[in-house]
Amino acid sequence: MKNIFIKTLYEKRWFTFGWSVGFVAFAALMVSFYPAMRMDGAIDALVANMPEAFKGLIGDLSDLNEFSTYLASQLFDIRLPLIAGIMAIILGQGLSTAEEERGELRTMLSLPVSRMKLLFEKWLALVVIAGITVLGLYVGIAVTMPFVEGATIDAGDLSALLMMTWLLMVTFGTLAFGIGSITGEKGAATAISILAIIGSFILSTFGQAVDWLADYEWLSLIHYFPATEIVKDGVSWVNVLVLGGLTVALFTVAAIVFRSRDIK
Amino acid sequence: MPVPSIISVDAATKKFGQFKAVDDASFSVKPGEIIGFVGVNGAGKTTTINMLLGFTSPTKGTISLFGERIKPSTAHRSHSRIGYAAGDMELPTRMTGRQYINFVMSQSEGNHTKRLAHLTEIFSPQLSKKIGTLSRGNRQKIALVAAFVTEPSLVILDEPTSGLDPIMQDAFLKLVRAERERGTTVFMSSHYLQEVAEVCTRVLLMKNGKLVEDLSAETLQSTSGKTIRLVTASKVTPPQYDVSSVEHSKNDNGHELSFVYKGKITELQRWISRQAGVVDIDISERTLEAEFRALYQDDGGKK
Repeated sequence: MKNIFIKTLYEKRWFTFGWSVGFVAFAALMVSFYPAMRMDGAIDALVANMPEAFKGLIGDLSDLNEFSTYLASQLFDIRLPLIAGIMAIILGQGLSTAEEERGELRTMLSLPVSRMKLLFEKWLALVVIAGITVLGLYVGIAVTMPFVEGATIDAGDLSALLMMTWLLMVTFGTLAFGIGSITGEKGAATAISILAIIGSFILSTFGQAVDWLADYEWLSLIHYFPATEIVKDGVSWVNVLVLGGLTVALFTVAAIVFRSRDIK
Repeated sequence: MPVPSIISVDAATKKFGQFKAVDDASFSVKPGEIIGFVGVNGAGKTTTINMLLGFTSPTKGTISLFGERIKPSTAHRSHSRIGYAAGDMELPTRMTGRQYINFVMSQSEGNHTKRLAHLTEIFSPQLSKKIGTLSRGNRQKIALVAAFVTEPSLVILDEPTSGLDPIMQDAFLKLVRAERERGTTVFMSSHYLQEVAEVCTRVLLMKNGKLVEDLSAETLQSTSGKTIRLVTASKVTPPQYDVSSVEHSKNDNGHELSFVYKGKITELQRWISRQAGVVDIDISERTLEAEFRALYQDDGGKK
């Protein structure tokens, strides 16, 4: 363990393992449900009679017969962004304020490690851990697919969905990490990040049914991860730029403030 | 040519809102000095140490280490020459002691294996266990090993012996004495005035955020010695040499004589044996505590 990056990965190994296993199970479960959803025509009829607000909550059900659109709407749309986003927020908050509140940050900063290096290596660990857990999703899907009839998906589509999931996680994680690094306050980092993810969830689900909310849907981070559109039309680079740009901007502001602020 | 200071604090003030934790403090530390930094809780010791290490920046004034002005963004540059340990130091709980020490060693140049073996012999730290499972004292041992392992030229210690048992406190003091011989500069805050008096070459005393006293080695020497209280049936005169602060009084038990003695103990024994009609005798170490108490009983803040 020669640097903060490796040290952080080591210290977060059980967190990473736990969430990765959870994602494997979650993905495997959703893939195994596919035959039931595809064959049961009653679901189509049920969906047709649902209020628009409920449709938003359960994802886009426009084509459950295709495995790719089923996977996009039932795994990657709404549910996964919410769960993965919360995981990333917990991680980002833990890597910033939790360490500072325990006093461990002072211990690290008493060593010949620059604040910028420390911040960057911790953030890099966040990015890698998010990547490992997304790999868990891939494993869950890839391992279960051969046992499920009709379950095939284009490798490019799956890669695009996984890449956007990772990018969304990094954005939510960087939000919590950035606010934590700027303020040093656990409460602020948690409250603002949870507000962002719950707000995104509300805007992206109820925005489909409530007119005045629809005008603000662009404020939702989940809005930039339209899973069903990705499998139909490919990745929108505008969405990648928005999430990527926001991540870079958050990290930059965090770095500028963190390098000179007082540590608790 | 004057010796450059290792630590230079120039009119440093640190405010938290309207509260001045450190108020216009100025001092400098020369290479090889062992500084005792004392004061009651809330006197501003830890805030000063936080500024020295660049954890916080002064509201006013400047702080320099090794001739370079300390700012939070650049403080790490001097940390390759600094060791740091604090009584309430939080170490990475998920790492073992060995992993943490290795991590600390990997942050600086050179091979410190022999040094680690030496420090391990002194403190007997539990290196194979997770730090989170260790008692406070055992964590403190690891913090101290980490502070000294890279052979830094300046060691900053904030209440380093709190949590250590008396045997380990002695081992620590022995190490500080050895470091003094090697020319290491040590800046140590402590509540234990006895240990400060034992190893420090100079004492800085903080009160209400202000530096109120700077006691040199000579002054410290003058506070050492033994306080003798002797009650006798008739009035006696104290020894002729190495005696100060002589006081006579008379009470129901007889004549009481008290004085501070700094001479050889054998001479003192001889002098006592010559006194007739001794009713009571009390011999105690004169410590820095007397100086400390006197300063804190003085409301003016200045001696």
